[in-house]
Amino acid sequence: MPHLDAAYNLARWLTRNDHDARDVVQEAALRAYRFLDGLRGEPKPWFLALVRNACMSWLKANRPAELAGADADAAPEPADPETPETLAFRALDRRMLNEALAALPAPFREALVLRELEDLAYKDVARITGAPIGTVMSRLSRARRLLADSLRAIARASDPKVHE
Amino acid sequence: MTRDEMERELSAALRAKADVHRAPESLRADILAALPEDEAAAPPRWRFWLAQGTALASVALLTWAVTFAVLRPNEDERHAEDVLAAHVRATLGKHLIDVASSDQHTVKPWLSARLPYSPPVEDLSAQGYELAGARLDRAGGRPIAVLVYKRRLHVIDAYVWPAHEHVGRVDFSRDGFQLVRFQADGWAYWLVSDLNRNELDDFERLVAQKN
Repeated sequence: MPHLDAAYNLARWLTRNDHDARDVVQEAALRAYRFLDGLRGEPKPWFLALVRNACMSWLKANRPAELAGADADAAPEPADPETPETLAFRALDRRMLNEALAALPAPFREALVLRELEDLAYKDVARITGAPIGTVMSRLSRARRLLADSLRAIARASDPKVHE
Repeated sequence: MTRDEMERELSAALRAKADVHRAPESLRADILAALPEDEAAAPPRWRFWLAQGTALASVALLTWAVTFAVLRPNEDERHAEDVLAAHVRATLGKHLIDVASSDQHTVKPWLSARLPYSPPVEDLSAQGYELAGARLDRAGGRPIAVLVYKRRLHVIDAYVWPAHEHVGRVDFSRDGFQLVRFQADGWAYWLVSDLNRNELDDFERLVAQKN
């Protein structure tokens, strides 16, 4: 099952736990087999879109707060930091990065997972998330900035001297 | 650091460091076990393919009627439908390869032991098309050999069986897949792949020359 790894990665990041990721992927895989004749276009984005929709249903049922009022694209722009960036992102602590990514709102998290971790083309991310390609690009850009904010906050909290 | 630089740095950091969760082996097993009875991969395998192919083909028949108007009716249509359906199903994950080997002396006897014919098998690694192995599939109402080749990340399925009568070459694309049917030296081929048309044509020439 060549696309199962990508499916699991997406579900794991959206549900944020192994047990529910398993359930969601299994359900989506069985749906995929049942509705294989609905396949349009390339199999991978098609299958990942099924998985993504299963994740959204799961979130709606189990973590409604995460989706409640999450009109992510309409939220105000985060301000750019006034001071020059001093956080060396390449030297980031792995755990910190994972925590910050897990804490992002779902629409930003899924965009980053599909684009950066699964290395999918913008058009595939758009197809999977059901958003226009322009929205995907602006969402990705905002996701990275939100991530940077959150990393700065984590860094400040763990070492108050770093950014003061 | 500008905003663009910051985004590039973060992108690189995510790619290098964020956790990539791979599906546990037990999940694969659970999914296979949870497939409905008639879809479980019980031997003989082609009973499964037949059951799958029927449901898929009924819808496919309508959708592809136009495409196949140029082909010979009946047997060809059934072949093409089966071939594409089986290819999609295999790449989606059910099972792509029964015997995994780049050695034609392993693959060829494996196939001839299970089929009433012994198709030509060539490793084309030197030309950039690596023989990954083979599987048994079912198309046109009978078991059929599928040679599986890899080019970069693309899979090429070569369905091969003895040609009983001469039929012309046909190629077309459908839903991101390229299909081509041709004959070479008494063997009939269907090639199916998500590879681009130029490379698939190149592959076709190589297969035809080797025969």
